[in-house]
Amino acid sequence: MSPLRSRTGTYGAGGEGRGPLGAARFGPGVWARDLAMGMRFAAGGGREGWIRTALTAAGVTLGVAVLLLGASVPHLMDAWHGREKARENLGQRHQPRPSDTTLRYASADTTFRGTEVRGRLVRPDGTHPPVPPGIDRLPGPGRMLVSPALKDLLGSPGGALLRDRLPYEIAGTIGDAGLLGPKELTYVAQSATLAAPDGYRIDHFGKSWDPRPMSAPAVLLVIMTCVALMTPVMVFIGTSVRFGNERREERLAALRLVGTDVPTTRRIASGEALFGSLLGVAGGAVLFLAARGLAPYITLWDINVFPADITPGPLAAALITLLVPAAAVLVTLLAQRSVTVDPLGVVHHRRPVRRRLWWRPALPAVGALLLVPLSWEGPWTDNPLNTVRLAAGAMLLLLGVTALLPWLVDAVVGRLHGGPVSWQLAVRRLQLSSSSATRAVSGITVAVAGAIAVHMLMTGMQAGYAAAYAESGKLPRIGLWGNAKDWPRAQRALTALRATPGVTDARGTIDGLAGPLPTDRAPVSATHPSTLAIGSCAELRRLAQLPSCRDGEVFLTSHNPDPDPALVPGARLDLNPPIVRGDRLDPHPWTIPRSARTARLLSPGHGPEGSFYDLLVTPSALDPSRLNAPSMELRVDFDRSVPDAVEHIRTTASRLDPAVQESSAVDNPHDGQYSSVRNALFAGAVVTLLLIGAGLIITTVEQLHERRRLLSTLDAHGIRRATLGRSLLWQTALPVLLGLALALACGLSLGALLLTMIDSAVTVDWPVVLAMTTTGAAVILFVTALSLPPLWRMMRPEGLRTE
Amino acid sequence: MTPEGSLLAAEGLHKAYGRTPALVGADFSIHPGEVVAVMGPSGSGKSTLLHCLAGIITPDSGTVHYGPHTLTGLTDAQRSALRRTDFGFVFQFGRLVPELTCLENVALPLRLNGTRRKEAERRAHEWLERLEVEAVAGQRPGEISGGQGQRVAVARALATRPRVVFADEPTGALDSLNGERVLTLLTDTARETRAAVVLVTHEARVAAYSDREVVVRDGKVKDMLAGLI
Repeated sequence: MSPLRSRTGTYGAGGEGRGPLGAARFGPGVWARDLAMGMRFAAGGGREGWIRTALTAAGVTLGVAVLLLGASVPHLMDAWHGREKARENLGQRHQPRPSDTTLRYASADTTFRGTEVRGRLVRPDGTHPPVPPGIDRLPGPGRMLVSPALKDLLGSPGGALLRDRLPYEIAGTIGDAGLLGPKELTYVAQSATLAAPDGYRIDHFGKSWDPRPMSAPAVLLVIMTCVALMTPVMVFIGTSVRFGNERREERLAALRLVGTDVPTTRRIASGEALFGSLLGVAGGAVLFLAARGLAPYITLWDINVFPADITPGPLAAALITLLVPAAAVLVTLLAQRSVTVDPLGVVHHRRPVRRRLWWRPALPAVGALLLVPLSWEGPWTDNPLNTVRLAAGAMLLLLGVTALLPWLVDAVVGRLHGGPVSWQLAVRRLQLSSSSATRAVSGITVAVAGAIAVHMLMTGMQAGYAAAYAESGKLPRIGLWGNAKDWPRAQRALTALRATPGVTDARGTIDGLAGPLPTDRAPVSATHPSTLAIGSCAELRRLAQLPSCRDGEVFLTSHNPDPDPALVPGARLDLNPPIVRGDRLDPHPWTIPRSARTARLLSPGHGPEGSFYDLLVTPSALDPSRLNAPSMELRVDFDRSVPDAVEHIRTTASRLDPAVQESSAVDNPHDGQYSSVRNALFAGAVVTLLLIGAGLIITTVEQLHERRRLLSTLDAHGIRRATLGRSLLWQTALPVLLGLALALACGLSLGALLLTMIDSAVTVDWPVVLAMTTTGAAVILFVTALSLPPLWRMMRPEGLRTE
Repeated sequence: MTPEGSLLAAEGLHKAYGRTPALVGADFSIHPGEVVAVMGPSGSGKSTLLHCLAGIITPDSGTVHYGPHTLTGLTDAQRSALRRTDFGFVFQFGRLVPELTCLENVALPLRLNGTRRKEAERRAHEWLERLEVEAVAGQRPGEISGGQGQRVAVARALATRPRVVFADEPTGALDSLNGERVLTLLTDTARETRAAVVLVTHEARVAAYSDREVVVRDGKVKDMLAGLI
């Protein structure tokens, strides 16, 4: 027998353990092996390989960090509401009896230079009162525990006015568990004078309440913001994992030469992308952890949170960890579809594909079909169907832009002819293949369109509030109200306010309700009580035209065209009517004196001077303590030119009664909220544009690298650097400008529709439009400028060497 | 000393890439209308010599004279201008701009020289006819054969009526039949237009199209007529 083994029938069988030629090679094991080989190539590719991997990882890092941030929002809101629930217990209807474990608890919120300061007063009934989170024990009488931010403010020169308002000694600070966020201004003080009717008696902290669900437009805002900001991130991830394609394909060609089949080369290529994306996932986690450390310094929509509260849900985090690498593999596989890796080199299928138009406008058209009828239906009605229509329509319109852009670029550049050499080179390049540039630019388009639409919506809403506040705030006036005990105290309050710097006038009454006396057969309706004001003759004269007035007199007003027939001199009323329907309270009967006369209100109705009183009562005619929840209502006019006049008034009011509350149009709380979100949105859009710019640079440099031999040849022919530089500029600028034009059209249309839906005048936020387009133009220049050094480097004669 | 009547001449060229010398005191000259084949084994410095002669790279020492100009004393911009106006190039794989049609490729050097597009394309068309590839004028390089592409490249090199054509392995990627056709067209047309041709090759059959051969070995040039290194 020959020592040589017969190979009959084994041609193509290969070595030991291999299947016959043509046998299918698939399964998880094969995939794992090929992916691992690709990852080894990525990890062992030397300095250049590592740079490619690092760039891919950098792109994925940014994307994953943003995704993790987005996935943290639900937990963040839960944590924020959870903190509020744990520390609060105001407003319950059934109060416990006083005991060793109860305390009286009242709100003493105030505003300091437009910023809310949350104040809580406590007065324990015994020695074991409940303690809110973040506090070991309650402060002693006349002392307070403050949040670190409030402590800093009170210790700063700018906090002097506030210090006057809080006459308590600082006994310590509130821990994080008792705060909504690190920048929150809050305090808990023990008041020795706190007593009923101020506040509530409680035996524990922690209140079960459901946070008010976000309104549909707000949900829409969030969804659109996510779509507008996340789509470019996904585009960037897609671009990043394609980086280094050419060198990768050269390596794959070498593998094909030694017998690797096409599916295997695709899996190996995917493995290389997988390695970079896995590094990116790890980097994204690290960047996310670092970025959330900045949370204490950021306040959005009056929300400031602790870093620990920014935690992605486990499911979302797991999905991101799995889906981003999976997406990297998928993108690589899709990219490989258009490339044939040949053993002797890489053959790209460069046959230009004519883009079909018919389905491209379908997405935005369906979006418009969903949105336009909503704007015809008049003011927005919040129901689930409308919410879905709104969200789906907006998303389809925005995403539809990405479908339209490739066609638009093809259609426009296909019609461009002539021009200088630089223009011709750029146009021809785009005519041959505009896919990669368009892919990157579609991110810009979505970001800009979304940002413009959301900005328009927010600007419209903000302008509405601003107009309302501007109207109300024309009159420099603050309204104050609090529990009333007796008229002399109200009188003292008025005197103190009139003596406050900047106050030009102060007036007020004690207001209460009076209803018909209940009968057994007919329970009293709580919905039709009469309103009465108790005040001195001087105060009442500011409300009505009194024929004459002496203390002890009562007046019936004549403003009501349909007067209550029961409101006549000699009629008996109940001064303790139930405020909530169904409550059964002991009646406090009171008879309208037969001497009561009629008076005409000076300004009946709404408006800054308006009032609706049915009865005007002088203090001696009625003891306010007989009323159910009498309220001291004060109106204070001030001089805007006196510095900090409002703060002085607040301080005076707080000294009179820390629980006094304020209603005024002095500070527009919505302005800060909207401005903070608009600024954040703008910053996000700019960052997104820069991110896309980075993706464009990667794409451009990659293209240059692929064309380095050609660039060297052109250099040999004597082409000017400036000519190629301009060509690069046009090549970047054309898709970006077309993308911006499309984004403007889409963003302005969407913004106009959204504004129509909320019944707001359609106004364009031109500064933002200008800023966005300027940023887009800056991205073009930025990309071109950063691509020039590699361009010039690749024009070197080394590219001509073939040996 | 520049040989009398020479169009392009190099003296004592030294060029090294890092520690590896490519040219070690190389001399070279070529006369108008002359076709000189530069031969030598791989890595001998042929392409480096061509690049130095064309002003694409500057030698570490030595001089290159082109008519009244000393190339080695010109700025990069001046050398680029000279390449646009007086030199033409043919490379191994054609190196045509893939986005442009063949006609536009041939017109490109003319346009770089400032010729208006219509005129540049008219003249480019003439050259394509002359090189027998007018049929592919509207096609892109990716859509034509290697031989056609190389003829388009020759047309591009000659379109500006250069005084010197540098051809670096112009038939290296072609089969013998196509290679011979390209060489015939290149040398015949160059002679017609009195253009000098520096023809870098390692193939003896290609060198047969030249008037004179020089051999580069270890960075030095040996003129086969003079028999000197």
